[in-house]
Amino acid sequence: MSQDTVVFSARKIVTMNPSRPSATHVAVRDGRIVAVGSRDEMMALGTATRFDDRFAGKVLLPGFVEGHSHIMEGMMWTLPYVGAGDRRSPEGRLVPGITTIDGIIERLRQAGAEMTDPNAPLFAWGFDPLHIGGRKLTRQDLDRVSTTRPVMVVHQSFHISNVNTIVLEQTELLRGSNISGVVQGDDGLASGELQGIAARFRVFRALGGNPLSGNLTPDDVARYAASACVQGVTTITDLHNDLVDHTIELYQSATKQPDFGIRLVPALASVSHTPEQAIAKIASLRERNNDKLHYGIIKLVIDGSIQGFTARLRWPGYHNGAPNGLWYVAPEELPRIVEAYHRAGIQLHIHTNGDEATETALDAIEAAQTAMPRPDHRHTLQHCQMADAAQFRRMKALGVCANLFANHIYYWGDAHYELTMGPERAARLDATGTAQRIGVPFAIHSDAPVTPLGPLFTAWCAVQRTSSSGRVLGRETEALSVEDALAAVTIGAAYTLKLDDKVGSIECGKFADFAVLEDDPLSVPPETLKDIRVWGTIVGGHIKEAPRA
Amino acid sequence: MTASPTPVTVIGGFLGAGKTTLLNRLLAAGGARYAVLVNDFGDINVDAGLIASHDGKTMSLANGCVCCSIGGGFLETLGSLLDSGQRFDHIVIEASGVGDPWRIAEIAIVEPALRLGRVVVVADATRIGRLINDPRVGDTVRNQFAKCDVVLLSKTDLVDETVHAEAKCAVLSIRPDAVIETTANHVLTKICEIDARRSSDFRADEVEPESPDHEAEFRRWAYRRDGEFDRRRLASAVQELPPQLLRLKGNCRIAGEASPMVFQMVDKAWSLSPTVSDQDSPAAITLVGVGTSNLPPARDLEAILDTALAASATS
Repeated sequence: MSQDTVVFSARKIVTMNPSRPSATHVAVRDGRIVAVGSRDEMMALGTATRFDDRFAGKVLLPGFVEGHSHIMEGMMWTLPYVGAGDRRSPEGRLVPGITTIDGIIERLRQAGAEMTDPNAPLFAWGFDPLHIGGRKLTRQDLDRVSTTRPVMVVHQSFHISNVNTIVLEQTELLRGSNISGVVQGDDGLASGELQGIAARFRVFRALGGNPLSGNLTPDDVARYAASACVQGVTTITDLHNDLVDHTIELYQSATKQPDFGIRLVPALASVSHTPEQAIAKIASLRERNNDKLHYGIIKLVIDGSIQGFTARLRWPGYHNGAPNGLWYVAPEELPRIVEAYHRAGIQLHIHTNGDEATETALDAIEAAQTAMPRPDHRHTLQHCQMADAAQFRRMKALGVCANLFANHIYYWGDAHYELTMGPERAARLDATGTAQRIGVPFAIHSDAPVTPLGPLFTAWCAVQRTSSSGRVLGRETEALSVEDALAAVTIGAAYTLKLDDKVGSIECGKFADFAVLEDDPLSVPPETLKDIRVWGTIVGGHIKEAPRA
Repeated sequence: MTASPTPVTVIGGFLGAGKTTLLNRLLAAGGARYAVLVNDFGDINVDAGLIASHDGKTMSLANGCVCCSIGGGFLETLGSLLDSGQRFDHIVIEASGVGDPWRIAEIAIVEPALRLGRVVVVADATRIGRLINDPRVGDTVRNQFAKCDVVLLSKTDLVDETVHAEAKCAVLSIRPDAVIETTANHVLTKICEIDARRSSDFRADEVEPESPDHEAEFRRWAYRRDGEFDRRRLASAVQELPPQLLRLKGNCRIAGEASPMVFQMVDKAWSLSPTVSDQDSPAAITLVGVGTSNLPPARDLEAILDTALAASATS
């Protein structure tokens, strides 16, 4: 049943459609865009046209597309955040970063005071010593929060955590353990820093479970959608999910609600399936697709992270001489896996952080393309942080896209300059300029909750290329113009998800998905791009004002 | 009442080394209630008649064993196995082909419900020599051996003696003290049985009085002498030891060496290495052997090793 046509006016509409880059009016009907242009051009649309001028003072952009983030962003906010950078919660609350140990202790004390059960464990997240001058969090620090309640702070990387003394006592890890993941303090006892799976297994069993595992709830999904709205995001991935039956049902029911505010793109985790299982599962999942739910992609993780020294690097490896990282898939197994998905017509999203992992992925894709040339496969390398120009040229030749981790320049740029990659390679970290010159289709992303969700911030990172300490990394050669950075978080990201026919630009026929901004990103000083306020979103014509708290 | 901890054996080894083949044998053999955690069911090949139930994640066998797929997450799988309340004689965990088995072994060290048995790494005799120098995976492969107890050399029937010897050398180049066995004769089953019974069978520092073990198809035997071995005589004596003696390990003194040495022998491959700690041995030579049930009498074995003693010490 056809509805009325609504024409929204705006101070400016930035369309990301080169044939009509800007406009003042957009007409919407049945959740889709009817026309983009001037007020006069809308007059011919017919009698059932209603004008809506509520956004007359605002700026509309295509709804942002986050090409690499995780539903875990929606789960984190049940726990206190103790990271160094500011974040915005799903309620729209600005949660200031904390840069001192005392500040962290204070926030944890407050959180503990709000808990009713004095023995329930207190979990928090977001800490990274690299962001507070290398200062570690010790068990003695956390004992100031409580000596009776278990306290556990999960790092921003999610691979390391810190606990207080009572946790170490309950798990018998305080003394006499030489296992590799239990870091020793100066006193010869455990410092409270725990790494690796053994300590993790023991602690979560002793504390009665990991608050971030277990079944997803409708509230988690609602928070994810709310966080997206707060940041102007209307299409968002969940880029690594086992997609158990419970999750499938939850995504199904959430996306069928007419006012659900995001188009969700889950990627099935390759690690939990054989290619044969995954191919069959994707086929059945696709039948559940609706306008707000887009199954079809597979995520494959090849290596670890650069700052965790688990990424696989080509010669000469890590700048500080650390041993090379870890393979999560055997390189010789990769061609078989990639070819299976490639032949099945599935688009792969391949996590490669280090350049050796990138090379291995490109080898596998090249072999698959040779065995069965497939036009427009759009296999996408995710993160792809260390690729050099030669690797981008291979990507171009093979039809491979890249989704580059621009936020890393800000959060770990200093660590990459000083420790992991050294000055030269750090200058071409997340080489957006190279990708653009060579013509590799690319996007930029946050990997939320690893770094904060926020495409304007991500775009700012790609434009400024400045680390959190203020160090500039390769701006002359790799920085994007504001316009190109905005393209990377809209039509560029949509392209990597094969959704560029539906979202990512404001043009006739596409979903009526808009980010509603208070200012024009193309006219503010580029260094303030991240500070533009997001009013909310419009998704399929539904207006969603971002919550503010 | 606290149940005694369940022993855990971790099976590591690079992709294609033959881990699954071993696990298939172990599951089919039964004999004990094994819980086997595997990376994927795809290659698990158990006689259909043996499968009592199979829900896609857990396969229960008529012989009391279960096989769980790690697919949904290793820690979650192990956690639910422990939470299930089922008791197993032994838990066997297959590490990923690119994983470090020691990382898993550490779980058995810190988790009170578990006790670490052996860390076993399977090495493909046809290509281990190349793999350890491979530019992409050499470091991963070498690291898998860093802390294992036993190396099982697989596919030895596919190689000639030269390649077989080269494969052993490759392993010994990473771990000069490695205990190397071939995968013939259901070695894994035996290892698991030894682990399940006692953890001290093969520790030189915990030598027990010699006692034939009536429970199983193994015999243990201890050799103690004052004095010291002559290195060359020892090499000859080892060649004379009967094939029923599967392993021999312990501390000894070697003529001309200031410090005690650790001697290890498996399948006639043997090594001497400096002792890690300066422990007090009751005798200058203390070796413990494990053999099959038809191991020749202790006096025959002792006669062979006595020929290795340095002249001045022969009594």
